[in-house]
Amino acid sequence: MDVSEPSPSVADGAEHHLDPRAVTVDRIAGWIVFGGMALAQLIALALVAIFAPIPLWVKMGLLGLVWPAAAAGLAWLAHQWPVVAHRHASYRVDDEGIEIKQGVIWRRVINVPRSRVQHTDVSQGPIERSVGLGTLVIFTAGTEHARVQLHGLDHGLALRIRDHLLLSGGGDDV
Amino acid sequence: MTSDHRLHPASFLFSIGARLRQQALPIVVLLFSAGSVGFGWQIWLLLALVPYTLIAIARTLTFRYRYDEHELVIRTGLVARNERHVPYARIQNVDGVQTVFHRLLKVVDVKVQTAGGNEPEATMSVLPVAAFEQMRQRVFEGRSRAQLEPTSKAEAGDVPAAPRAKTLLALSPKDLLTYGFVEGRGMVVIAAVFGLVWEFGMADSFVPSFEPGKPPVPTGGAFRGLARSVYSRAEDLFTSLAIAAVTIVALLVVVRLVSMVWAMLRLHGFRLIREGEDLRTEYGLLTRVAATIPLRRIQTLTLREGPLHRLVGRISARVDTAGGEAGQNAPPDRHWLAPIVERHELPALLAQVLPVLALDRLEWQSVHPGALRRILKKKLLVSLLICLPLARWFGWWGLSALVVLIPWSMVSARWSASALGWAVTDELVAFRSGWLWRQTTVAPFARVQAVMFHESPFDRRNQMAGVRVDTAGAGDLSHRVAIPYLGRDDAQRLWRRVAHEAAGRSFRWS
Repeated sequence: MDVSEPSPSVADGAEHHLDPRAVTVDRIAGWIVFGGMALAQLIALALVAIFAPIPLWVKMGLLGLVWPAAAAGLAWLAHQWPVVAHRHASYRVDDEGIEIKQGVIWRRVINVPRSRVQHTDVSQGPIERSVGLGTLVIFTAGTEHARVQLHGLDHGLALRIRDHLLLSGGGDDV
Repeated sequence: MTSDHRLHPASFLFSIGARLRQQALPIVVLLFSAGSVGFGWQIWLLLALVPYTLIAIARTLTFRYRYDEHELVIRTGLVARNERHVPYARIQNVDGVQTVFHRLLKVVDVKVQTAGGNEPEATMSVLPVAAFEQMRQRVFEGRSRAQLEPTSKAEAGDVPAAPRAKTLLALSPKDLLTYGFVEGRGMVVIAAVFGLVWEFGMADSFVPSFEPGKPPVPTGGAFRGLARSVYSRAEDLFTSLAIAAVTIVALLVVVRLVSMVWAMLRLHGFRLIREGEDLRTEYGLLTRVAATIPLRRIQTLTLREGPLHRLVGRISARVDTAGGEAGQNAPPDRHWLAPIVERHELPALLAQVLPVLALDRLEWQSVHPGALRRILKKKLLVSLLICLPLARWFGWWGLSALVVLIPWSMVSARWSASALGWAVTDELVAFRSGWLWRQTTVAPFARVQAVMFHESPFDRRNQMAGVRVDTAGAGDLSHRVAIPYLGRDDAQRLWRRVAHEAAGRSFRWS
């Protein structure tokens, strides 16, 4: 019942890392979040420094030491975390289904059998689009994993995986 | 063949009733406040119901349905006409609910449900009882005819023309009393009653304050007044402790009694019936429920037994069902297979319902031996957290609670660790947990949607991992197949196996 596919099949059963460009995408997203958080922190600390009845040297310390330190920590995280996350993320596609490995501290591997895929989306955010990546979203009838995401794939590859997952026709004829 | 049917003439009454119930609170408030001030502008508000009544009557008069050869056709609307065709083959459920009022008028509230969407395809409020029976018959006949036609289905050959109904389980009043006793549902009812009493207690102290000359009564209602008078007579510590103990025992007894009464009302005449490929449950004294559970929609089975269940050798069984392609949006449904059944009768019952779920052949395996230590650590941490505020209030004496909490943690950790178990057969994966309330959930591979292998930092340190099995229709709070504290290799193997077995079976809605 297996349909033979064009030569470079995505269902090779081997573990693949995500596209290296995913690190760039995550970094840009991380920097945007970081920028927002650092700004919010700065405003909060400034308000404290202006209105709180605390000695001047504490205020100087807050603005001159605490904020730069926190901001530096966040910046490092925004820059370095995507690399670590990328090292721990992978996927594997075979004739039976797809397996997605994610997580650095809490690690998880989700396996979705091909016959349980209800439908799939391939989406592209603005940053992803600029570097040609896409996110594969798999919908199942489950509850906890009703929506399984794999982000950081080459857009063309994401489309091919989607086609592969849907080729079996699914079994959801009512 | 295609003659039109209508709703019961009294339908509009129920329509208004439903509307009133939605707005019960404002109306009650209105009546109460009217009592003190006299009817004035409030009465005009009731006039707002008049247009609604007219609409309800119009709706009742324009609602038509008919049985075509392959589908149920429903026409509604006076101004904007709507005609809906529901093929028999797609109808999953024809459910009927009767409250006391419905039964007085010999009518029933009918919901026709299909696989798609999370709303009933058609709500017929209300039909005469005879029409309900007729609809059920027509729909099921039409459905088995539709099933015979396509050749794709393997079971097409052995679908009987008219499914014969067979009662699988009928609960006697004695069973229901046992059920009420062991489940202890009384707390819910007590809470509701208490709420009411409190409300009225508030009213007691609230209403007299309107009357001039009388000082407002400081007590908050009869119950609190009674409690206070009893307590004020207790001179010494011993007497008040004794009163407290008696009160607690009395409360426990009352809770059980209320629970038994509740069970008698709610589950009166419970019957589980198999009709072809459907299960039907019927129960209720005041509100009569008749629900259909298509066997194919059953996703998982959950067994539950508490300490009292074990004492009388009973167990309760529920199934989770899910319907609709919009599975993630549809609310999960839990159905009683057997609110209570004798333990040794369960295998026979399951064999008649779902032969796949043969639980007697399960070989339970325990989790990693290191689980005990990890559970114990967690419980000790919780004990400490409980003690901290006590120590804050009572000084060092607060820590004396640890004398009880530490041995308790050790014992309960041992019991919970040994209660954890999992099993795999060629057809299903099962998981059990809990030592006081023991729950067992069974998921057939054909119903498994996704499998997750997961490890936390603590898992990694102990060479452990967990496996979670996702199915459709599992609620957030329901017991599910989520096996923690497995040895890493065991977890890996189990996860691969479940994924492989699930992939090899096709999953069908409907």
